[in-house]
Amino acid sequence: MTLPKRIRIKAWADVIKQMKDLALPDLYDFFLSYEAKNTEISEAKLIGKMHHHLTIMRESIERGLQEPNRTKSGLIKGGAFHMKQFTQKGASLLSKNFSLMISRVLAVSELNACMGRIVAAPTAGACGVMPGVLITIAENHGKTDEELVKSLFVAGGIGEIIALRASLSGSTHGCQAEVGSASAMSAGALVYLMGGEPSMVESAAAFALKNILGLVCDPVAGRVELPCVKRNVMGASNALACAEMALAGIPTLIPLDEVIDAMAQIGNLMPCSLKETSMGGLAVSPSAQYIKKSIVL
Amino acid sequence: MSIFDVIGPVMIGPSSSHTAGAAKIGLLARNVYHQPFNKVSICLYNSFADTGPGHGTQHALVGGLLGFSMDDERIPNALEIAKKEGIEVNFTFLEDPEKHPNYVTITIQQHQQNPFTISGISIGGGHAKIVDINHNKVEFSGKHDLLILEYRDTCGMVAFVGDLLAKNTINIAYMQISRDAIEERALAVLKLDTPVPETLMEILKNKEGIYTAVAVPRWKEDI
Repeated sequence: MTLPKRIRIKAWADVIKQMKDLALPDLYDFFLSYEAKNTEISEAKLIGKMHHHLTIMRESIERGLQEPNRTKSGLIKGGAFHMKQFTQKGASLLSKNFSLMISRVLAVSELNACMGRIVAAPTAGACGVMPGVLITIAENHGKTDEELVKSLFVAGGIGEIIALRASLSGSTHGCQAEVGSASAMSAGALVYLMGGEPSMVESAAAFALKNILGLVCDPVAGRVELPCVKRNVMGASNALACAEMALAGIPTLIPLDEVIDAMAQIGNLMPCSLKETSMGGLAVSPSAQYIKKSIVL
Repeated sequence: MSIFDVIGPVMIGPSSSHTAGAAKIGLLARNVYHQPFNKVSICLYNSFADTGPGHGTQHALVGGLLGFSMDDERIPNALEIAKKEGIEVNFTFLEDPEKHPNYVTITIQQHQQNPFTISGISIGGGHAKIVDINHNKVEFSGKHDLLILEYRDTCGMVAFVGDLLAKNTINIAYMQISRDAIEERALAVLKLDTPVPETLMEILKNKEGIYTAVAVPRWKEDI
């Protein structure tokens, strides 16, 4: 069957329906065709671009772990580096791989705060989640870069639906839209990477987003540092747990589209003081106020 | 939206709106000005003024003006690099509720020549637009090849340019024109489907009544 000139979607349900209508074998094929049709860029070029993004993600992990990262504000003082040393000592509470994943998520998020080069996924503030989770799990399970790139397209597709129905921006819907979306995208991509059915991909993404609904954006001193960096670790851990549940066959009772709509509704109800303005929440705690005053640019 | 708007851009952190978008505005301004310069005055408004300093907005803007793309690792050192290149840079910070939250006005100057002002807004996700050139309202983000003309408002100038482009099969997708007053300084921004070759640029630059003609290449993707 010849593909239409443009592919339009508004919902996850549209993806599943059109995948069947267009006889596209899986989610990756669908999102690749979607992107190629809508941007008029060849599939080969798009795949190459995603490989490039994967390379930058790997570089950002390496750079972020090279030495202790410090921001000018002093709010970040080498957390990723300390975490790496802790992992190497074998003192982890959980598996060594879980600990390694945490150090990688920290590495990318800290590098971003230090004006290093990262891939916004879906935003700069949430850029640690996806590389940390996907690259670590792919290594553990011997997945190739081709498989990783395919799962990144699926992650991007999930993010696209969130962007179309709600928003990916903390200033519009709070942190649930940034780290929440990164977590949902990663959870879905993990399930895809491990060979899960589209319905399992949907469940994983829906679980991950449900768990983070309502999370506000309240950065201390208006910087993408505190609590953003550690919220990335939370998003990554949540993605793993949700992917695990979905792969076990636990289904979501609320479809992903409805979870996204709930996020948008909550985001609209959220006061402006809790949407990236640093006028509420942690940002106005006495310690945060003290930190803000003591930062010298 | 596109999947690469979700996964991407590749950028220098920490903020897609306050760092990557700012770098894009700086680079667009450089491409539009298109000449050497040794003085830049940058006025940041609203959120750019409030949280810009914590997000490297000044470094990103100056980096763009120096020709760095939003993923260039020289951005964190842009202010020092500008100083080394002998470019004087100063900043002011203002509030103006009438303006977009992330608004910046850049005044570029070479020695005692007339200052050139250009304003831009950062609209999220590393996307940005130029909204003003020398107090003329414009709107472009670099999706098309651009032709920007400053000329003396004259009957037939638009026809001349349109005819020249048509004869060379260059299609005009969008066009904006504005002027100070009848027969005074006018500005035209043409969004084109293909770039204007150097030979045509020479014809335009030599045409009586055209003060400046600049071709701004389409915004280059990171790959």
